[in-house]
Amino acid sequence: MKEEQTPAALSIPEETLLKWEARGIKRRDFIKFCTATTAALALPITLVPRVAQAIEDNRVPVIWVELQSCTGDTEAFLRANQPTAAEIILDTLSIEYAETIMAAAGHQAEKSKDDAIKKYQGKYIAIVEGSIPRDGAYCCVGGKSALAIVKEVCGNAAATIAVGNCAAFGGLPAAAPNPTGAMSVQEAVPGATVINLPGCPVNATNLTATVVHFLTFGKLPATDKLGRPLFAHGKRIHDNCERRSHFDAGQHAEAFGDPGHRQGWCLYKLGCKGPETFHNCPTCRYNEGVSWPVMAGHGCIGCSEPGFWDTMSPFYRRLPQVPGFGIETTADQIGLGLAAATAVAFGAHGVASALRKNEHDSKEG
Amino acid sequence: MAKRIAVDPITRIEGHLRIEAQIDGGKIVDAWSSSTAFRGVETILKGRDPRDAHHFTQRFCGVCTTVHSMASIRAVEDALKIQVPDNARLIRNLIMGIQNVQDHVIHFYHLHALDWVDIVSALSADPVATSKLAQSISDWPKSSADYFKGIQERVKAFAGTGRLGPFQNAYWGHSAYKLPPEANLMAVAHYLEALEWQKDVIKIHAILGSKNPHPQTFLVGGMSIPVDPNSQNAINADKIAWMMKLFKKARSFVEQVYIPDLLAVAPFYLDWAAIGGGVGNYLSYGDFPDASGQNFFPRGVITDKDLANVYPMDEKKITESVTNSWYSYQGGDDKALHPYDGETNANYTGPKPPYTWLDTDQKYSWVKSPRYDGRPMEVGPLARVLVAYAHGVPEVQGAVNFVLKTLGAPASALFSTLGRTAARGVDALVLAQKNEEWLLQLADNMGRGILDMHNGEMWDPASWPKEAQGFGWHEAPRGALGHWIRIKNQKIENFQAVVPSTWNAGPRDEKGQRGPYEQALIGTPIADPENPLEILRTIHSFDPCLACAVH
Amino acid sequence: MLELRYVWEWPVRITHWVNVVAIVVLSVTGLYIGNPFISVSSTTPYVMGWMRFIHYVFAYLFLMSFMARMVWMFCGNRYASWREYFPWVTAKGRERIVGTFAWYTFLRKTPPYEVGHNALAVMAYAGVFTLFLVQCITGFAIYGQFEPGSFWFNLTQPLLAVGNQQLRLTHHIIMWLLIGFGIHHVYSAALMDVKEKNGCLSSIFGGYKFVDPEEEVE
Ligand code: HEM
Ligand code: HEM
Ligand code: NFV
Ligand code: SF4
Ligand code: SF4
Ligand code: F3S
Ligand SMILES: [Mg+2]
Repeated sequence: MKEEQTPAALSIPEETLLKWEARGIKRRDFIKFCTATTAALALPITLVPRVAQAIEDNRVPVIWVELQSCTGDTEAFLRANQPTAAEIILDTLSIEYAETIMAAAGHQAEKSKDDAIKKYQGKYIAIVEGSIPRDGAYCCVGGKSALAIVKEVCGNAAATIAVGNCAAFGGLPAAAPNPTGAMSVQEAVPGATVINLPGCPVNATNLTATVVHFLTFGKLPATDKLGRPLFAHGKRIHDNCERRSHFDAGQHAEAFGDPGHRQGWCLYKLGCKGPETFHNCPTCRYNEGVSWPVMAGHGCIGCSEPGFWDTMSPFYRRLPQVPGFGIETTADQIGLGLAAATAVAFGAHGVASALRKNEHDSKEG
Repeated sequence: MAKRIAVDPITRIEGHLRIEAQIDGGKIVDAWSSSTAFRGVETILKGRDPRDAHHFTQRFCGVCTTVHSMASIRAVEDALKIQVPDNARLIRNLIMGIQNVQDHVIHFYHLHALDWVDIVSALSADPVATSKLAQSISDWPKSSADYFKGIQERVKAFAGTGRLGPFQNAYWGHSAYKLPPEANLMAVAHYLEALEWQKDVIKIHAILGSKNPHPQTFLVGGMSIPVDPNSQNAINADKIAWMMKLFKKARSFVEQVYIPDLLAVAPFYLDWAAIGGGVGNYLSYGDFPDASGQNFFPRGVITDKDLANVYPMDEKKITESVTNSWYSYQGGDDKALHPYDGETNANYTGPKPPYTWLDTDQKYSWVKSPRYDGRPMEVGPLARVLVAYAHGVPEVQGAVNFVLKTLGAPASALFSTLGRTAARGVDALVLAQKNEEWLLQLADNMGRGILDMHNGEMWDPASWPKEAQGFGWHEAPRGALGHWIRIKNQKIENFQAVVPSTWNAGPRDEKGQRGPYEQALIGTPIADPENPLEILRTIHSFDPCLACAVH
Repeated sequence: MLELRYVWEWPVRITHWVNVVAIVVLSVTGLYIGNPFISVSSTTPYVMGWMRFIHYVFAYLFLMSFMARMVWMFCGNRYASWREYFPWVTAKGRERIVGTFAWYTFLRKTPPYEVGHNALAVMAYAGVFTLFLVQCITGFAIYGQFEPGSFWFNLTQPLLAVGNQQLRLTHHIIMWLLIGFGIHHVYSAALMDVKEKNGCLSSIFGGYKFVDPEEEVE
């Protein structure tokens, strides 16, 4: 009951609370959700009523399309964070189309989408999951190519949220050699207003927070150069990591299961990509804050970064492969080889030079 | 009068599935199953570090997340002859076990239920009668008349807005819906409860695997989640207790809600025990090994619905054909290849989008056609349960006999759309009970000071042979999953996955034999070709996953 | 007659030695950062913390020294001038390159006469200065990431397009290239000293070299 006593929460109008109660949402859960969302957005707590109102006023239509995806982001959404978030989102938004959960199928399903695009033109939120192949052959739904679908759906939306690394940056399908010419939403529909929520999958909390930000302020949150919201991608994992003190101390797990690993030492030497990954995993965590990769003893693989399948692998190494060498060879081995070769070469040169008769020597006599 | 229809997209599944069917005399006379999306992950895997493979393959699918990590890792461990520590075996069983239970419940309530449950009819139910019905089938506490009244009002308020969101344009009012309004209302309430429940119980994945979907603690040689009763950063007594609570929550929902609902709904649809049988051949790789390597669900092959003979499974008899799939084989498209020699060369010959029909006389799907000894096989909970039943696994026999007895149905009723759906319930029930045993074994190991969970002997690729190959198997929620890897010079030389939904959703092979979906649709009645609800029933009974199937 | 000439002015010598010290310290600390080989059992030693701190202090020192040398290219004497670093643009310079190369590879008995850098060495230095530059850029680009929005972050952010890991790998590999250069360079300096008897080795300490005005060509 603590939340209800905060002044900000108290100022949520009684009628709003009553309306939610009528829909079967406990007022306590509603206030908790609004407060948590406000916090997730790094907004001052005084804005809680405004967030509450935003949720109240607009049941914003959403069209969720899946293209070259694994449905992991839809599943992440189903695990949404706050106790009643899944229900609130179902009541807050109006999900006009989402293949994984919708009741209609076939042409009836396609009709739902077409109707929503027409009826809510320029007003709905498009959510895209999965990458888009350049060639229609590699992904069609209802006989239409993925590219045609995103052009239509994103082109007519108020804003598009690209969920997961595939939609945001091409993700897995775009990993080398990118057999299908997979693209991100931004590449596929260059003109659209897109916000990127990478991660593999997206963290459901970041998705709800982005939606609520949009509902509250009528615009998308501020982003970095890669189009990711700063509230979720403004800092490196490494700079918020609970194992950071072990990193600074020089306490590194040397092998999985060694005593250091069991005691929660830093995973840097086991390939952790926290130092090069901008994501709020350490603070936000997953599944209602239960855990996140480093907490469970496995390094970060950089799943919120563009091209991470290629640039962050091999995942159990700190650095990527040196181009042109086998996966066995590390940069240090190559460097050491180079230094040794130089030393040997010049050593030999030195011996040869010492042996040869120098012109200056003979001249001097 | 014959009529051709296409259902695209098939919704409430994972991925992009299209069904085309020929209807004559109110029944399906022929059918074609096609997936219309391809990513090429097998190609992407070539040349990479085999220890990384599981991160890639896990992203075949975010619904049956974890299962491809399991199979890939077992493939590498098989190739390199790595034994995993007992704790890793148990943690893997627990991750697989809860995945299975949670996935089946989601399937039943959120993907399959609306084929049988008419939400609109729930609005006219009597909450008092609903409460009586609920209390007559289970002692689940949430079954008061007030509770159901609340749910009904909530649905009414929602429907009252006139904006049905994900529930619009569906088949409400279709003549094939048979449940009384009270049963519908009960199902709607449980639809919402299951939505809450699934995100709670899957926290076990977060505890053992860091997150869900896409847990991240698998390793070649074991697991990366430490176990240590004296560490704050490992699985300790506190986390064991937490997981026990979640496992109990998982089990009580299955025992008190899922199974009773299944048994309450099934009697209204007993005609579906004679529809949707399919190919009649069943394959299970077996899984959930004990300390001696013996699988709880046994391995085996059943042909022609003959439960009297269960044949041993021989991985060498597995092939994949691409005669009707959008790929080409170097040695000719009419040759079936064993996965070690498998090829994934995309070769799209279908219509240019936008299109209305596929040309099903030619290649028509991105799914390959796996065959066992030349036969199409059905895989999944039904196959798993049948093999275990025929093998006499007591837990499975008990559960199956209970279900059959309650429904008053013979064992042959299992070879059907309804049987598939019932077997999924049996599978979930048996595993929901088994999970707690494995957790106790893990706790017991920890108590005895056994803390190993990763075998790092072969971690360094320098210790590997120049060439190696391995087969990784797993009984995923949707059935028999196999990954085949060839390793050369420490890199992946070839990687091939033959996935449960590849078996079930595959198109015809070089001999013209239909795949299991296609075969199961034959004879399915269609009351109204414009609203082919019945197609969804049979197809959903397989729990399709097309991202898995094609990858 | 040999005469003693002031070849290396003090800024050249000071920056040379500051660079040498900085590179040694940066390589040792960098090696540790890349692969923390010291294992400690408590959180108090702060080994990685110190290594990184020292790395950054010397990184600034190195940057300053490197920039000073770059400035001196435009104000120092002819031996320090930027013109020295492009011998291949003049016919005379190309001749010197061929000559030195022939001498190093035993094709010629005497080295061409040089007062400042020899022609091949100077090209190596041009290369090394480029490596210095890339090392500073990649270093500060990684450095800036701990605080997005900071000066270094804003300055180097466009580079993130290359990829974070690529920056690290480049930074890491350049260390090895510099170590390779160091071995070669110290050897060559010693060789010149011995073979040319021109005080090459000591010149970088005191600045003076022995010059034979008869052989010197303008
Ligand atoms: C000759 C000069 C230098 C050498 C030999 C050197 C060497 C190294 C090496 C080997 C690493 C480890 C890289 C890895 O494996 O990821 C490193 C890291 C680093 N260096 Fe340098 N470095 C030099 C100059 C600089 C400069 C000028 C800066 C500018 C600030 C700098 C900043 C860094 C940073 C920020 C890191 C990463 C530290 C971390 O991630 O904690 N370095 N250096
Ligand atoms: C005992 C150690 C060293 C000695 C005796 C030494 C000596 C010298 C000498 C004699 C020159 C002028 C040579 C010529 O023009 O042919 C020179 C230039 C240079 N040295 Fe070294 N060196 C040493 C170490 C290093 C190291 C470790 C580095 C860096 C990796 C380095 C980098 C340079 C550079 C960049 C120049 C060009 C200087 C300029 O034009 O400003 N030196 N060194
Ligand atoms: N088919 C399939 Fe999976 C499962 N269960 C994979 O192995 O769903 Ni995505
Ligand atoms: S980003 Fe990851 S979780 Fe999302 S669709 Fe792509 S592979 Fe799946
Ligand atoms: S575990 Fe990873 S993110 Fe955490 S401190 Fe170590 S390197 Fe950084
Ligand atoms: S792998 Fe992804 S989930 Fe977070 S810890 Fe790394 S960004
Ligand atoms: Mg395959």
